[in-house]
Amino acid sequence: MRVQVKLYATLREYAPSNTEIGASFVVEFDGNTLGELVQRLGFEIDRAKIVMINGNRVVDMSTPVNEDDLVVIFPPVGGG
Amino acid sequence: MSKILRIDMSDLSHKWEAVPKEYEILAGRAFTSAVVNKEVEPMSHPLRENNMFVISPGLLAGTPAPSSGRLSVGAKSPLTGGIKEANAGGLTADRLARIGIRGIIIDGAPSRGSKDWYSIVVRKDNCEIVKTNNYADKGLYELIGKIWKDYPVKPGIIGCGIAGQRLMKCAGVFGNNPENTDPGRYAGRGGLGAVLGSKRIVAIISDSTGGEIPTPKDKERFDRGRKALREALDKHPVTGKLTSDDGKPFGGLKNYGTNILQNILNEAGGLPSMGFSSGRFDGAAKISGEAVHELVDKTKKKFGDAAEASYAHACHPGCVMRCSNAVPYEKTGKLHVSPLEYESAWALGTNLGIGVLHDVAELNRLCNDLGLDTIEAGNTLAMLMEGGLIKYGDGPGAIKALKEAYSTDSALGRLVCSGTQTAGEALGVTRIPVVKGQALPAYDPRPIRGIGVTYATTTMGADHTAGYTIAAEILGIKGTVTDPRALNKAELSRAFQATTAYIDATGYCLFIAFCILDDDDGFKGMTDSVNGFLGKDIDVTEYGMAILKNERAFNKNAGFTEKDDRLPEFFRTEPLPPHNVTFDVTDAELDAVFKGM
Repeated sequence: MRVQVKLYATLREYAPSNTEIGASFVVEFDGNTLGELVQRLGFEIDRAKIVMINGNRVVDMSTPVNEDDLVVIFPPVGGG
Repeated sequence: MSKILRIDMSDLSHKWEAVPKEYEILAGRAFTSAVVNKEVEPMSHPLRENNMFVISPGLLAGTPAPSSGRLSVGAKSPLTGGIKEANAGGLTADRLARIGIRGIIIDGAPSRGSKDWYSIVVRKDNCEIVKTNNYADKGLYELIGKIWKDYPVKPGIIGCGIAGQRLMKCAGVFGNNPENTDPGRYAGRGGLGAVLGSKRIVAIISDSTGGEIPTPKDKERFDRGRKALREALDKHPVTGKLTSDDGKPFGGLKNYGTNILQNILNEAGGLPSMGFSSGRFDGAAKISGEAVHELVDKTKKKFGDAAEASYAHACHPGCVMRCSNAVPYEKTGKLHVSPLEYESAWALGTNLGIGVLHDVAELNRLCNDLGLDTIEAGNTLAMLMEGGLIKYGDGPGAIKALKEAYSTDSALGRLVCSGTQTAGEALGVTRIPVVKGQALPAYDPRPIRGIGVTYATTTMGADHTAGYTIAAEILGIKGTVTDPRALNKAELSRAFQATTAYIDATGYCLFIAFCILDDDDGFKGMTDSVNGFLGKDIDVTEYGMAILKNERAFNKNAGFTEKDDRLPEFFRTEPLPPHNVTFDVTDAELDAVFKGM
């Protein structure tokens, strides 16, 4: 299936080069779950600390991902 | 041996005192709030002689404990009318701690009509109150350069700029950065710069010549604690090293600074944009920490060692988290502003609909030069936009308005420095985002309600740092929260407020919380270092609650009631896109936070 993905901060290096900050890119993958998508993107599961699917926060890596979903992934971040 | 320096600006006298028993274990915020509560007449006018200005380095300032060089300042706030503590990095905490100063208490004011300006020079066992009319009415970049020439001992400097000298409520207390290239280390909030101005003080200059590193009572425990904390900070992905062993970017704060939050709040729909009218801003990415990181890399590539650009910059000696930065002019590679933090990029960018990094950096530089709190100044500019004087998104228009503040006779210049509430009311705005007169920072309380509880209930006026529930609500630190409604918001906010008060007293930067709330060894490292330093065990929550009690007592005596612990009406009535939610925490829930205290 094809989904849209946005990666931020230290995860940006896993996006295609020249992806602008805040821009999404298309990922094609065979799996069904968020965990499988992260595996396809090429970084460890625990680096996907904050994930939003279509704007809603999810914490369970077995959450299903559907065609055309927008999946936004952040590593652990803090500031303020 | 710690001591207290008392200064009376009415007769320009000073005296030294031993630290009394009741203040024995108090430093930083614990010290400033105890003194303000005990000694400042609660109904006094904050900008007249009966207010006091209190300074205290955190307990561990000047020691090798990691990231422990924060300085607290306190007074009755001209912005809120209540008690205020604000803290910052810079050099002053280190310098004062090394010469054994627990606190400086400044009382009184020169007689009305006095035209002279003063600076206070503090050295080991020595204090001078010097007439410095040539320091007044100057931009602060120029002033700090001049002071380091006049006092060539690399002193710490804090003080007030043009805004504070004119008693404006947006005025923060500036501090020089370790390199003395920028006056941007601000104890910004609450208008405390104006309290210094009311006492006719431009600068407080601290010289640590002949000083020494403070000695812990139980050195073995202190060392064990600080090393454990250092280790925990270094390995945590938020506070940790710049790159991992394989050379990849690792620590979030070092790589992107606090402005790493811009994109996450935007994606979460909790980023207040254009005067708190939307939770998203399409220009957010362009002014985010990632954008600053790219600009720094690009500038370094182009200008090499001549580039005055950095991330992973330390805001005070001994900081290991190094979340500060130096933002360059893209064309010349020269320093534009340092730092550009999340709250400032939000207040002067997102909140004004300005998505041009240069314009945001320029607004921040102007605030630093004029002596303004970026959060209050940004919200005040938003009132000018809300009131129709400038259009949202007009960066050059906002810069022009802020530059008016240099002029001695510009009414607009006074208005942009007058604070969000004053400017909003002057311009007929009914959506004024303040609590107790202080403007809200960079998290909308409608989708993120725990922080709304903190804004409403802290004695400080709307202040995210008073109880940073964002850590749990958005960042997944200490728990995974999918829906903030599921939380007991009162409990969450109270716990964060008490722990924060403790950290603000230790001199540790609040950002160690991102690590220690996730890592028990780090937490124990923190408490071991503090208890080892004091030579006695203190309880984190109990100590923090005692600080909060002092602050609440002062506000109660100054006339504050539960009715002041409320958010403005529009947060309850105007749903915030994209989630289209309102702030629905009941008054009873708000009052439960400090019930019985």
